[in-house]
Amino acid sequence: MPWYEWMVVLALGISLCVSLVHFVRIVNAGIPRDLAPAAGEVSPAVRYSFTGAMSPTKKESAYLHLPTYATGIIFHLGTFLSFFLFVWIWIGLPLPGIPLVLVTGFLTLSVACGLSMLGKRILERKLRLLSNPDDYLSNMLVDLFQATLVLSLWISAMKPFCFLTMALLLLYFPVGKLKHALYFFAARYQLGWFFGRRGVWPP
Amino acid sequence: MTNDQLQHAIDLLRPSGDSRLLTHLNSCVHCGLCAESCLFYLATGDERLTPARKADLVSSIYRRYHSVTGKLLPWLVGARELNSESIDEMVELLFGSCTLCGRCTMHCSIGVDVTFLVQTGRKMLSEMGLVPATLQATVQAAVETGNNMAIPVEDYRDTLQWMEEELTDEVGDPEARIPLDKPGRKILYTLNPREPKFFPLSISAMAKIFYAAGESWTLSTRMYDVTNYAYFSGNDGEAALIADRLWSEMKNLQAEQLVLAECGHGTRAFRWESPNYLERSFPFPVMSSVEYIAGCIREGRIRLDPEKIRERVTLHDPCNLVRNGGVVREQRYILQSFVPDFVEMTPSGIDNHCCGGGGGMLSMSEYNEWRMKAGSVKAEQIRRTGASIVVTPCHNCVDQLIQINAFYKLGVRILTMAEIVADALIIEHETRIAKQSRAPLK
Repeated sequence: MPWYEWMVVLALGISLCVSLVHFVRIVNAGIPRDLAPAAGEVSPAVRYSFTGAMSPTKKESAYLHLPTYATGIIFHLGTFLSFFLFVWIWIGLPLPGIPLVLVTGFLTLSVACGLSMLGKRILERKLRLLSNPDDYLSNMLVDLFQATLVLSLWISAMKPFCFLTMALLLLYFPVGKLKHALYFFAARYQLGWFFGRRGVWPP
Repeated sequence: MTNDQLQHAIDLLRPSGDSRLLTHLNSCVHCGLCAESCLFYLATGDERLTPARKADLVSSIYRRYHSVTGKLLPWLVGARELNSESIDEMVELLFGSCTLCGRCTMHCSIGVDVTFLVQTGRKMLSEMGLVPATLQATVQAAVETGNNMAIPVEDYRDTLQWMEEELTDEVGDPEARIPLDKPGRKILYTLNPREPKFFPLSISAMAKIFYAAGESWTLSTRMYDVTNYAYFSGNDGEAALIADRLWSEMKNLQAEQLVLAECGHGTRAFRWESPNYLERSFPFPVMSSVEYIAGCIREGRIRLDPEKIRERVTLHDPCNLVRNGGVVREQRYILQSFVPDFVEMTPSGIDNHCCGGGGGMLSMSEYNEWRMKAGSVKAEQIRRTGASIVVTPCHNCVDQLIQINAFYKLGVRILTMAEIVADALIIEHETRIAKQSRAPLK
């Protein structure tokens, strides 16, 4: 196995271990205790929290910012697709002509979306005030990973760069804001739990 | 401030108990899409006032003291020390420009409970003795005198006596009473001290409803205050002490059920928070007066004249009662049952904008200017409905809406739910006496 593949294996091991620590901490701490009698049910509210409440018809942060919302969705889909493709390539599966063109097109769009979000963060004062180096770095790492992956699909010499950025991404995942991929699920669950018990969700 | 106080404040950010704090301290991605959910940002356009910024103030301190990255590379993750600079910013943003309305939480793209983080920040400030003096004075009055306006018992009795005379005149029954300290009644009813102090007619309005329903009820002189401003100041110890008095009074008077007056935060603090402050479950049912009135209409215990209110009426939803308390449909059921021209605000219900007076803002006069600016969002909402009456089941909201009404020259009347219902009540003496004989009067 080439050196860059070993790097990814090592980074994956470290990343999984640290992420596991985060995961165990959340699960161990458990759901909040509430002695007030519930006015509604938790399960349908949690389901709603992950579905209806996230839709652009209900969530103001989505329907007031549809271009940004769409950009974010494409960027996240691109990230998931990139992880999938990375494994696909690593295990040596072929990617024929038409799917290769489609994937390249979508990932190019995704990288463009990521860069536009980065540009927005740099240019908009409101976002600059909120941002710290982690916000810029996290975005750039994911952009870089997607971009090197696309390039490595066409230029085999790019493969080591792609693996290198993947290793960096994996190492950075549990320490910076990228770990929201873990905490997101806990946050949505708790929101559903809170509004469900109070009889607010589902509306 | 002592080092001990500082350390205790930092310790409050150490996730313990459950995963709520840990989760929300680590979830924000700084997308900034929450900005338009906040009335302070909407009204001022000030980029410092976004909910994400308020949440980050708290989580950046958490990162500095309780996360490995924040300890080793604070510059990378924006970890901040708890020092005079961050503390000043916390006081200004967490007390001065947040009403804890929870609208940003509901609309957050991730699901960060911003309100909970702001509340945690307030607890830290309370630990350091940095609650704004005006808010602390309100809490202190409640702790020392039993009501947040420090109304002497004699004045309170006099007001109730005066309101009892109003009641007897209004219903034409010399036997109509506002019962005081009567043990063994079915309902113990509470008041917002603003009622005996500034709006006594809302007491006689609710008494009229109880009268028409033939209810067995009483008020208390020892503990009648529904509010709990310690919920806003972030002092759980004081909040528990205030809540415990109401629990004790239920026991003293051997009442079966507690009906909370029209007060959003009072309802939230007692109905939802007090069992957790006191670490015990309710041994008695608790409901808001809105739920009580809706029940009376549904059961046919009171009848309302649909010809009485001819003006257009709109409804302001108090955040703590509605978005954070789940009482959404009852107030609409009440109004739709007798108001022919009822219109909703846009947005409304669980999505409604705060009036700007919540979170203890009304008592913090140092932030009056921001409060009135924030009220512009509500003023515009009201104006767009074309209504001439605004009903809201919350005395704090009433206060803020009255000020908004004058400041933005809206020309509307502000009423509580009890007041508008009392105006339309059909008093049927024979029916009432029959009901009374059936009711389990004790």
